Amino acid sequence: MPWSVPGRMAGELTVDGLVVDTGTAPAVIERVGVVFQDPSSQLVMERAEDDVAFGLEGRGWSRERMRARVPDALAEAGLAGFERRRTARLSGGEQQRLALAGAFAPRPGLLVLDEPTANLDPPGASAFAARLAAVRSARAATVVLVEHRAELAWPLADLVLALGADGAPLGFGPPGEILARSRDVLAEAGIWLPDEPLPPLPLRSSGGAGTGEPVVEAHDVAFAFERGVAVLRGVDLAVGPGERVALLGPNGSGKSTLGRLLVGLLRPAAGRVRLAGADPSRLAPHDLARRAGYVMQDPERGFLGATVEADLLLGLATGERQRAGDVADALGLPMAAFGRRNPFTLSGGEQRRLSLASQLVRRPSLLVLDEPTFGQDRRGYGALLGLLRAGVDEGTAIVAATHDLRFAGDVAERVVHLVDGRIAGPGATIPPQDAA
Amino acid sequence: MIAVQARTDRVAASPLGRASPLATLAVAVAWLVALATTTDPRPPVLVAVVAILAALGPGRVAPRDLARGLAPLWLAALTVGAFNALLSPANADPSAAVVVVFGPVRLTTPAIEAGVALALRVVAIVAVGVAWARVTDATHLADALVQQARLPERFAYGALAALQAIPWLAEDLVALREARRMRGLRATWHPRILVGLLVLAIRRGDRLAVAMDARGFSTAGRTRYRIVRWSALDGAVVVGGLAVLAAIVALR
Repeated sequence: MPWSVPGRMAGELTVDGLVVDTGTAPAVIERVGVVFQDPSSQLVMERAEDDVAFGLEGRGWSRERMRARVPDALAEAGLAGFERRRTARLSGGEQQRLALAGAFAPRPGLLVLDEPTANLDPPGASAFAARLAAVRSARAATVVLVEHRAELAWPLADLVLALGADGAPLGFGPPGEILARSRDVLAEAGIWLPDEPLPPLPLRSSGGAGTGEPVVEAHDVAFAFERGVAVLRGVDLAVGPGERVALLGPNGSGKSTLGRLLVGLLRPAAGRVRLAGADPSRLAPHDLARRAGYVMQDPERGFLGATVEADLLLGLATGERQRAGDVADALGLPMAAFGRRNPFTLSGGEQRRLSLASQLVRRPSLLVLDEPTFGQDRRGYGALLGLLRAGVDEGTAIVAATHDLRFAGDVAERVVHLVDGRIAGPGATIPPQDAA
Repeated sequence: MIAVQARTDRVAASPLGRASPLATLAVAVAWLVALATTTDPRPPVLVAVVAILAALGPGRVAPRDLARGLAPLWLAALTVGAFNALLSPANADPSAAVVVVFGPVRLTTPAIEAGVALALRVVAIVAVGVAWARVTDATHLADALVQQARLPERFAYGALAALQAIPWLAEDLVALREARRMRGLRATWHPRILVGLLVLAIRRGDRLAVAMDARGFSTAGRTRYRIVRWSALDGAVVVGGLAVLAAIVALR
């Protein structure tokens, strides 16, 4: 749908022999199903069956055909029996599979998937990949998958098209051939390859105290959202100065909640949290900001400045401004090129790096990160890693809630496994998706 | 409060749940319009009672759900009543009967009567609104607006999709306030938070609109998965609702 994107297009695009322009739009839409990155902005209806039917109504299907097709489409996405379920109450992985069911229900000849697993945890992403594999083995549609996660995308692909930073193709062909011929070109361009070994996870795995006087401590902390079941119970954790800790655990295990408790965005229901000796939830914002930083999962929700420069300089003293420029350079967002840009116009990876930069620039003694590596290509990942390590050199302790085992292995010197709101002791069974 | 939201299957299968939302809406509006024409304290009380009984009986709304919806009602009614009694011009009328004098405040009988009348009006309006919202399903309402009221699909389903996004807005608000706190800014209300909410909402709306169009929303010849037709039940709801109203008005 080139007409829905501001910009100019040159060249010709044909779908199923049709030249794509506004005139052929209805015919093109009828042949194509699309799944976007964010489940929250593509589900339209309140109930699953109505959402799947939404695309069929638009294509003029008769009611009888729709009634027959909807349950099948749900079942194909691994959602049999979900007809009356509320879309808002589904997990992120279920919502993405529902979006797939809706896109695939009209049996389009072409299915376009734009980083459909970017917001999913490993079990959600692999369930989604399994559904895609089923579509592929049935040869039911041509699938175009836009994806950073090489280990997920390459095994599914008959053909791989690698694009460079300037949008020009770097290679196109069967995955094996591309890998044999252009491995170095792709790696150079910052593209993840499917066969890169994971770094080993650190062996130390406990909630026990780190070295030295801890920067942040949690004692017997419990937390529950209003009227809800306990998210965390009896959590003890101490993090020393400059220590790097990865919080691992499946969705709903309480990783993000623990992170927000450590920086005082939430107050524990029982137990206590001490950040450099003080209760972080009672600190004045000014004092809190000097002691702790927090990089949230969705970077767009954290932008407070109208430009990249304004966002970085926010709350900094005049003497510290030079530092903002250095941090921006280190993250591949040089002020000269990016300073005047609106943060919302950056790419997903750039946004995430900016959200990290605007926290690190204050040199907090503790930095908590919530899933910092989603949507990063290899180059962005490297920049992020470099900046985190530089932060550590300056004494910032890091606690990262993450699903990304590569990141955990590269960054952490200690991993903490959360299972059902408790810290799993050494030797406890680790859920398979984390052990994988 | 008065928000159309997902209802339980039990409510959906009830007589009021199966009736067209436009039929129940017509009755609710008729009741509220009739209330506006009277200052008598009895009709509002009766309308409120009937609305609650209708939701519990033919609407099969769980008493707990209804009670939760009505919770802010009492405070609102009390506030409106008290303020109107205290600030009524009747308090300045030297001939009016005085109930209480407290320092410079003088409270008269007609002022209290006016306050009570207004408070009861608030009770009735909120009760009717909550009862209607509890028996009404957002999807059903959008379907009825398109198929029976012939409203444009873009408007009805666009509004429905926007309704689905309200919980995300609440999450945005929490995140924006957290972001401010972590940057050393006060997390309480600030115009920038509203700007941020608006930016996030517009961006989500943009993406939603593209996703809807990608699924053929704006193409002509749309068919319907759910059918809403006028039925005898709708007639019964309207006739019954108006009959109750006539009885209440006649009681005067």
